[in-house]
Order: sequence, then structure tokens, then C-alpha cells
Amino acid sequence: MAETLSPLDTVLRAGRYANTAAKIGVTLSEVSPGSIVQVAAWPDTEAKVLEGIAKTTKLKLGGEPGAGAVSGNVAAFGIAPGRFLVISEDEGLADRLLGAIPATVGSVTDLSHGRTAIRIEGEKAEWLLAKFFAVDFSKAKFPVGRGVSTNHHDVFAQIQRRTENCFEVYVFRSFARSFWKALCHGAEENGYEVR
Amino acid sequence: MLITCPYCGPRDVVEFTYQGDGNRTRPDPASTDLNAWNAYVYDRVNIAGDQNEIWQHSGGCRTHLAVTRNTLTHKISSVRSTHAEPPAPPKPARKKPRAKA
Amino acid sequence: MSAIRIASGGRIDRSRAINFRFDGQAYTGHPGDTLASALLANGVTLFGRSFKYHRPRGLLTAGVDEPNALVTVLRDSVREPNVPATTVELYEGLVAESQNRFPSLQFDVSAVNQFAGKFIGAGFYYKTFMGPEFGPLKGTRFWMLCEHFIRRAAGLGRAGLAPDKSRYQRMNAFCDVLVVGSGPAGLSAAAAAADQGANVMLAEIDSRFGGSANWSGETIDGTPASAWASEAVAQLAKRSNVRMLNRTSVWGYYDTNTIAALERVTDHKPMGASGEPRHRHWNIRAGSVVLATGAFERPIVFPGNDRPGVMLASGAMRYANEFGVRTGERIAIFTNNDTAYGAALALKRTGASIVAIVDVRRDASEKARHAASECSAELLTGYAVTATRGGKMLDGIEVQPFDGQRVSGAARKIDADCLLVSGGWSPAIHLASQAGSRPVWDETLQAFLPPQPTENWVGAGAFNGAFQTADAIAEGHAAGLAATGGTNARKLTPPMVEGFAGEPNPAPVFEIKGKGKGKAFVDFQHDVTADDVRLAYTEGFTSAEHLKRYTTLGMATDQGKTSNVPGMAIMAEATGKPIPEVGSTRFRPPFAPVSVGSLAAERFGDLKPERLTPMHDWHLEHGATMYSAGLWFRPMIYGAKGETVEQAYVREAKVVREGVGIVDVSTLGKIAVQGPDAGEFLDRVYTNMFSTLPVGKARYGLMLREDGFAFDDGTTWRLGETEFLMTTTTANAGKVMQQLEYFLDVVWPDLRVHVTSVTDQWAGAAIAGPLSRKVLEACVQGTKVDNDALPFMGIVHGTIDGVNVMICRLSFSGELAYEVYCGANEGTRVWEALMAAGKPFAIVPYGLEALGTLRIEKGHVTGAEIDGRTTARDLHLDWMLSKKKPFIGSAMMDREGLVDENRLQLVGIVPLDNRPINGGAHIVEQLHEDHPMNSIGHVTAMCYSPALGKYIALALVKGGKARRGTRAYVSDPLRKRFGPVEIVSHHFFDPDGSRMHG
Repeated sequence: MAETLSPLDTVLRAGRYANTAAKIGVTLSEVSPGSIVQVAAWPDTEAKVLEGIAKTTKLKLGGEPGAGAVSGNVAAFGIAPGRFLVISEDEGLADRLLGAIPATVGSVTDLSHGRTAIRIEGEKAEWLLAKFFAVDFSKAKFPVGRGVSTNHHDVFAQIQRRTENCFEVYVFRSFARSFWKALCHGAEENGYEVR
Repeated sequence: MLITCPYCGPRDVVEFTYQGDGNRTRPDPASTDLNAWNAYVYDRVNIAGDQNEIWQHSGGCRTHLAVTRNTLTHKISSVRSTHAEPPAPPKPARKKPRAKA
Repeated sequence: MSAIRIASGGRIDRSRAINFRFDGQAYTGHPGDTLASALLANGVTLFGRSFKYHRPRGLLTAGVDEPNALVTVLRDSVREPNVPATTVELYEGLVAESQNRFPSLQFDVSAVNQFAGKFIGAGFYYKTFMGPEFGPLKGTRFWMLCEHFIRRAAGLGRAGLAPDKSRYQRMNAFCDVLVVGSGPAGLSAAAAAADQGANVMLAEIDSRFGGSANWSGETIDGTPASAWASEAVAQLAKRSNVRMLNRTSVWGYYDTNTIAALERVTDHKPMGASGEPRHRHWNIRAGSVVLATGAFERPIVFPGNDRPGVMLASGAMRYANEFGVRTGERIAIFTNNDTAYGAALALKRTGASIVAIVDVRRDASEKARHAASECSAELLTGYAVTATRGGKMLDGIEVQPFDGQRVSGAARKIDADCLLVSGGWSPAIHLASQAGSRPVWDETLQAFLPPQPTENWVGAGAFNGAFQTADAIAEGHAAGLAATGGTNARKLTPPMVEGFAGEPNPAPVFEIKGKGKGKAFVDFQHDVTADDVRLAYTEGFTSAEHLKRYTTLGMATDQGKTSNVPGMAIMAEATGKPIPEVGSTRFRPPFAPVSVGSLAAERFGDLKPERLTPMHDWHLEHGATMYSAGLWFRPMIYGAKGETVEQAYVREAKVVREGVGIVDVSTLGKIAVQGPDAGEFLDRVYTNMFSTLPVGKARYGLMLREDGFAFDDGTTWRLGETEFLMTTTTANAGKVMQQLEYFLDVVWPDLRVHVTSVTDQWAGAAIAGPLSRKVLEACVQGTKVDNDALPFMGIVHGTIDGVNVMICRLSFSGELAYEVYCGANEGTRVWEALMAAGKPFAIVPYGLEALGTLRIEKGHVTGAEIDGRTTARDLHLDWMLSKKKPFIGSAMMDREGLVDENRLQLVGIVPLDNRPINGGAHIVEQLHEDHPMNSIGHVTAMCYSPALGKYIALALVKGGKARRGTRAYVSDPLRKRFGPVEIVSHHFFDPDGSRMHG
């Protein structure tokens, strides 16, 4: 891939901000994965799509809503009935998935440019997310690997818990800068670091 | 008000978009029966009580849901994906086949 | 009333002083004080002037139910009016002022209103502002003049003009059990629920948890109740499954146990920490709710009951026990129940003398008699207070024998500087009432009890009518268990509670009708008197809801917390009906005032997010004036120095017609339509055929709505056998997506098609003009772009500057043109490569204005013409309506009214005076500037056309097609633009399209 430009390039400045007297509550960063791909099954082909994902990424997803998995440089989670978001640090994932999932089994849609991935990490990550999304992010209800589709006013978001205190949020690229600013604003009371 | 999306679980009503009456049946696409089309596009019953509605979980999984909501109390008695078969009617007697477009 | 701070006790930290100012004067208080308690401790008794009559008013209560002592808090340059002084926590440097007085609180000129009271009673506005004539000013017009002055005199505090710079934030929370109120019942409920492993939230409106335990003066299991509460709070705070929020008023109970609460985060601090919000709006979704909100004491209505120095017994008791303030030296009590005897004992302990206890009941209980003698008070049973004496401060009361109905006999005067009143207790059922059904009248308590739950809540404590602390703790425990559905609970050992706790059950006495003059107030904040209630009855407003609206009883910021039941009781007496038949108004949110800022929260000052294209920064760097289109920001013009908007767009459009220009089209809606049935699906949603479109080709498509009207248009590209890329107009992208999803989900679930928004995946640049092909030839690798390789509506794949691109030859401008798509993150790179390749051809970027000009010249339609009221025929797009297949809207589009020849149809307009006309201007057949004529249509878009050298416009005109070549007029009275126009074809320029096919 040629040199690219993120919508956050002009606003993302590494450093510590706002209430730095307190312990830094969250760390915000852009992830820039090589591939973000949506895979969707037909009503009777979900098992085959999961097989295709497993074959391509070695990730085994459960069948329950929002079920996800994270391993090495790949991650995936359910975003809607029969639909999954698959993320990889490597480029070209869409083509590899297409190889495993023909049109009779499902559709593969490359969203690598269309979604911006933002990582929210730290003790106050749940607290910060709760300012934007009416979703219960407690560990009991939203364990590691689990994903969710939700929105904050006009900003649609898909969110996966990567580790206990780390979440990745996928937003539409065109909204990313606005959302980033809102995130920083919301993180001020706890002090935040941008990486 | 919360709507319990079969996929996403209970979510705030602001995540959903009302997509119209859940009782209407679309005529056969080739039909030229204007009365049937008029009924489908315009005729609505103003129900005081349980009403069938279509909602889209536009701020979530984007699935369309068949919702039964009481217009007097906002109580939602059933939610299912429009892909799912409607639940069997409570009384087994005299089952009327529901036309499906 | 000579209030003083007592030496010890309560929550006051006397070792530290806090400086504050009230009405310009400096005072000191202590940590733990409210503004009310600190002022009281400083001997201040006059807090404000009343709403309508400007009567002097002091404190009635010590909490959120306070109707009188409203103040304005000044912070930086922001004024926050109408805050009860009882809820303002003291902080260093606090500045507050009293309200509704001029020139000063002590001397207020509008106080004459109280003598004009006869003329400004209930319904004053409704009756007064219509009617008589005063010279040239007829009826209401005269009153509209007066209203300005009346409004100024009446009312509450004045809002400031300075913008509120505070930050407000919204928070979503989830819990198994929300406990509202942290008195003994609430604390006990929270502990019981937490023991069950539930995720518990506990909300307390006050700064301090503990509720009545902080001032009851009781001991629980041998410990002072306040210490018992502190210990319970400390235990709860240790648990990881309990979240405790003090300074948080739960103000709204909505459907499905959705709860709204306001947390006042920094109001008690001199300054918030960096980034800390002033208020936090909590949106709580609770599995179940424990309502332990306690009860409000209510006053008795009698003449002069609003004089400063008259306060609720529980208020004085709170000041004494919780805030360490003695409210007077010589204290009289006036009650209809036993609880006020507890207040007498508490005040006695502060060193005050209790001069008399006036009890309307013939007999007082044994317990009460004992208490009266313990505080060596004269006990006057079967008596009532019939008047108060003093000026701006109470110096005495008059009492008369009372038989439960009427007073009789001679009045006796008693000197007192403070009168404590108790008219019984009303459970704080507001949230339960919001949540659903009607409250239930309880004869014993003479109060409304909570209704049967319609949402998932459990009540506990005084809220339920359980006023004794031991009962409240037991009920709280049970409620906590019930809320979790727990069964294996530790059994509660009933606590030993000691102290005086009188029964709250009152004699059914709400009002004392004295013989003397003097207003008897029901609603202190809105100055509604007992006579006003009776007047409402006389004039036919007898139901609770009518009474409220006619007299404004209960409509003030305190929402009638102290006045609701007395008001109903007086109405009941007037109508001769029992109270429950008069009814209670349904309480509505909010329970306590809510800052508007907290509701707007993070949207304040940032109302909508900005949607930016991949090339946004490039546009800004190159002088673009941005234009907001929905949420998107798009370049309007790239103006050169000194250029007007018109000069800029005319220059840009001209370059496109003569050379080459480039425009950002990334905002177009883009939807991936994928699957084996994608072609069939598109045939059904578009009016024309798509299943026959070859791979590597694009087609212009039109969609209708189900009702047959035009919906949206755009091109759709076939990228593969089972893969299409649909484009929509920028404005309709979301709506089209929803229509597609609806039909796939609800109507044709059997089709194997997926739709996904890929608007943000692709950056798009349209490169247009006779030289556009040359620019592409200079930079595109991997594919030819000549007419054979890339014919009109053809698609090729190649690279530009190493970036994969997809190029489709299509035209919105009518020139030879191409749309170049690439991954959004590479959009700027490709754009810059195109600019570089175009440099030898003098390429210019153009904005929305030039884009609009080019399309008007061509007569292409946009959202201004596809406005939801036009059909395909109206827009001359009937050639796109396939007769070979049904599609969405096909059955309805031929209805009689939709094929009428006289419908509004798209036409071109040429102003014959060659001056600009505005969108929205009307087209008329005959012009009459003073008398607007019947409109035959309106202008939808206008520009100066560089290609034609004149101003042109598009319009929708009745029977427009038949009017081509005829004369009409533009009539725009608002903007005073009138003149002759010629109606022409909408195809102004190159009607046969030879330029774009070349």
C-alpha cells in the first residue's frame, strides 16, 4: 500500500493532557490495522462463513451475538446476525477471505479505508466509553473478545474489548476526527495520554 | 423506553428507527389492484392497545424487528427479527394463515 | 427570630471557617453548612421576596422542598437564579444574592402589591389581559404594553447574559438495583441487595448520605443514628459492587426502568478540577429500583403563615441536629400530629425555650404530653394559631380555641420569635407517580401513598408510610432482597432504636380560617392562597389538574412539594367531596430542577459532528470556503483574493467548460450491493434495468418511493457478476440505505443480497472538461483511457502514483468527465497526483457552486427538484420508467393525480431583465407587486451561466412543459424581486449531449 493519510493525522499529537495531576486515566491511540473486512453470511451459511474465517485467520468464533476472538495480529467479532468484522494488522485480508468465502456462501466487503480504528486503554476506559454509548461495558456483560454495534448520536460505532482494560472502536472514517475530538474532550477529567 | 433486540439485547429507543406499520401486507409486485396498493401504502389503524410495528435497529445491528407495542403503556410484549417466523398464536383453534409478501 | 450557631453537634466542622457573601455583605460559615444554615447561624432571617406580592420571606424548610429562600448564585460572570439556599453548599468565596426585590431586600417598593392582592388573585392573567379600551389602545393591545412592566415586577430571579462556560457531561450506567435515597431504609436496602451480589447504585440528593439519620437525634443499637449511618456508608463504600452517588437527584422515572439523575459534581467547590464537569447527567438503566425517598412535612394553612420565623418543625429540627443552628430563642409549636413534639425536644436541647405547643387536637397522646412537659412547654390542646405578628420577622402569634372545624373565643397573644409548624407528612411519591399509576389516599396518614408499581420498583421507609426508623430499616432490608429476587439472605436482626419518634398520623386539619385579615398561603413559591383555591372553585376549576393550571398551585420550581396536599384538601372542602375524589395531579419529571446544560451535555457548543472528506485538509489549505451540507463539509468555492462568490464560481465553471476542473465527490452515498441476487434486487428497486448491465459498466438509475413519487437518483457500477457499487445523492445516502435494508429484511427476505455502506471507504474526485482525458493520460498507469478502452459509462482499473484507482466515465457537468475512486486513506495522494498531472492543462479545483452552475446549465436534477412532491414525469425522467418489470413505486406512479398534465413540471427560466433571482421565488402569470397573485410555481435553483452569458434558473411550474416559450413573472415580495421571465426548456446547454460523448 502506498503512503496513506489518516483523518486523525492533523489532530493526533502524542503527549499527556488535561488533568495530568491525576493518574492518567486513559490512553488514546489510532490503531491503523492493515485490513478491516466485513464478512456476511446468507441465512443458511453462517457455519460455512465461520469456517472460512477460521481457515483464513485461525480465529474460532462462537455463534452467540457479538461473539469474538483475538489472537496475535487478528481479531474478529459479530456485528449483526450472520455478519462479522475481521481485523488484521496485515494488508490483503479481504482477498484472502474472498478465496475462502465464495458468493454462494456469503459476501466479503473491504472496509480498510472506510473505518478508523481507535484504541482506548486504561483504568478509565469503561468510564470514558460510558459517556458516549448506552451499552453495559462491565466485564461480566462484555467480556474480552466480545463486540458490539452501537451509536453515539450520528456516529455509528463497532466496539470490541481487546483486553480487560482495552477497547478498540471502529467508526466511519468521515466522522473519525470529530469523534476523536469528542473522546479527548471526554477524557479530560481523568487525564489522558495520546500515543 | 428500551427495545430488546434479539441480537443486541436491550437498547435505548434512540438507537432504533420506526419503520412503519407491521400489519400491512405488500401486494404482489405485479398486481395492478390500486385498492390493495392504497391500503398497503396509506391505510393505517390507530390502535389503542397492542400494535404491530416494524423498527430498525439502525444504531446497532441494523436488523428490522417486528415489535408488538402497547400504545397506551409503551409495554413491548414481543420483539423478533422480521426474518424469524412469527410466534404461534396463543389459541390453536382456527388458525388463519397469514399472508407473507 | 434570633438564630445562632450552637456550640457542638451536627455535621459542621467548626474548626475551619469559610468566607462567603450574601447581598454584598461578608459572612463566615463552616464546612458542612448550606448557604441557608450559614446565614441562619449569622442571624439572617429574611431570604427573599415572594413571587407576586413581594412579601418578605424566610426559610420554611432545610432541604430541596424549600419554596421561599430562592437565591441567585454568582460564579465568574454567570448568574444561576432560583436556587434554594437550602441546597447550596458553602464554599470559599461563594457569592449569592436575594431575588425579586428592588432596591433592596429590606426595602422593596413592589411590596405594595400585597395590598393590591385583591386585583392580582388567581387567574389574574387570564382575566386581565383582555377587555377595556384606553383611548387609542384597544383591549389586549393596552395590556401588551403593561405586560412588560408586570412581567418585570413578578417572577423570580434574573438570568444572566454571560455564556455558561461550564462543562456538562452525560453518563450511561447500568445496575441490577438502584436505590434512591440513603436514609435508614435506603442504606439498609443497598446493603441487603449488595449482599446478594447485585450490582447496586445508591443515589442521595444531599451532599451527605444518611437522610433522616443525620437529624433524627435517635440512637440505633446504642449508636447515635448519624454515626450508625456513617458506618453503614463506610461499609457500602468498601464493596466493589456498589456505586454511591451523593449530590445526585434522581429526577425522572421513564419507561422500562430508565432513570434520569443529575449529579452536581463541582457546585460545592470553589473551582472544579481540570476537565471536571459541573453537572453529570446520569442515564441509568436499573433492573429494579428501591424507592426510599422519604417524606415531606407539610405546613398548615393559616393567616400570616408566611411570615419569616414561621417554619416547618422538621426544618428547624434539621437545623438544630444536623447543622448546629438554633432557629430561635422563644419557640412556639403548631401541630396536628405528634412528630412536632420531637422538634420541640430537639430545640429545647439547643437551649431555646419552648413557649407553647399549640395542638389542634382535643387530646394529645401520652407520649406527646410527656414530651411537652419535658421541655416545660405550655400545651394548648384544642387550640389553633390564627394570626402571626411582627414585621419582616415574627414576634408573636395569636391562638384561639379550635374545635376541629372552627375557631372561637378570644384570641390570646403569645410572644415567640419562631413558630414551628407541622401539618402532617406526605410521602415523596413523585418518582412512583411518574412511573405510572395514580397514588392511593391513606386516611390514617392523611396523605397519598405510592400506587401499585407499574414498573419494576419496590418502596421502603417513609415513602411507604413506614415512619419509624426500625420499620424503615426492616422495610429497606426486605426491599433490597425483593429487588434482587434473593432468597438465601442473612436474616436481619431488628435494630434497637431509641429516641422520641412521634406518630405522623395527623388530625385531618389543613387550614385554619381566622377571623382576622391576613393571607393564608398554600403555595408559598407561587403566592397561591387558600382564597385563590376557593376562587378557582367558584369559577368552576374544581379538578386537581384544573386547579393547578388556573391558580398555578404546584407549578413553581419546587413543584408543590409542600403545597400539593393542602391545596387538594381545601378544594375538597369547597366541593364537599373527599380528598381522593379531588385527586392528585400526576407528578411529572423533573423531581427537582435540572440544568439545561446537563441535558445538552456534550452536544453543547458542538451540536453536530463534522463529517469530513478525505481531502478536507487539502481544500482548506487551498483556499476553499467550506459549506455544510447536512453533516458534511464541502468546498463551496476556491475563491481568489478579492473575488466575490459569483466571480469565483463563474470562473471555476468556465474552466470546466473550456479546459479541465476537479471536484471532490467523496460525499456521494456509496452502497456495496453484493450477492447472487444483486441484479434482480436492483431491478426491483430502480425504475430501470440493472440485471442486464455488463460487468465493467455503470448506469444512471432512478428510484421511486412506494407511493410512486421520485426518491433518489445516482449511478450504479457493476464491478462483478455478484457485486455492484451503488451511488446515491449526498443528502439521501442514509434514507436510500434504509429503504434497501427494509426491503431486504421485510419484503424480500428470500433474496441473497447484502448491502453495506461504503461511502467512507472510497475517496472520489470528478475530473471534468474537454481536457480531462489528457490529464488522465498523463497520470494513469495500467490501463488506457481512450474512447475505446473507456467509453461513456465504462469503468477501468489502474493506478495513479502507485495507488489503485477505479475510473468511471460519467458526467454531471455535461462535459467529457471521469470519476476517479480510490481508497479513502489515499484520496489526498491521488488528488494531488491529478492536480500535478493537470497543471500543464491549467486544471482548477471547483466547488459546490460551480458544480451547481454546470448542472443547472444541463438541466440535471438534484434534491431541490426531487423534493418528495415530484414524479419522474414531472422531471422529464419518464424515459427511465421500465415497462418490462414491476419496481418499487410502479403500481402507484400512474395514479390520476400523478399523471395530470397540469402538475408542477421542471422548466428552465430566463429572467428577461438579466438580474439574479432567488430559489423559492414564485412564478406568476400576472405581476402585481402590492397584491401577490396566484403562484404557478417556484424557482428551485439559480446561477449565472458563463456558457450562456446570462442568469438562468430551474423552476417547477404548473403544466410547465406546455408553457415553454411563454412569458411569466418572478414574484418574490419578501426580497422585493419582481420582473419578467421567459419559460424555456430545462436543457439550457448542449441539449443533445455531444460534449460528454465526445
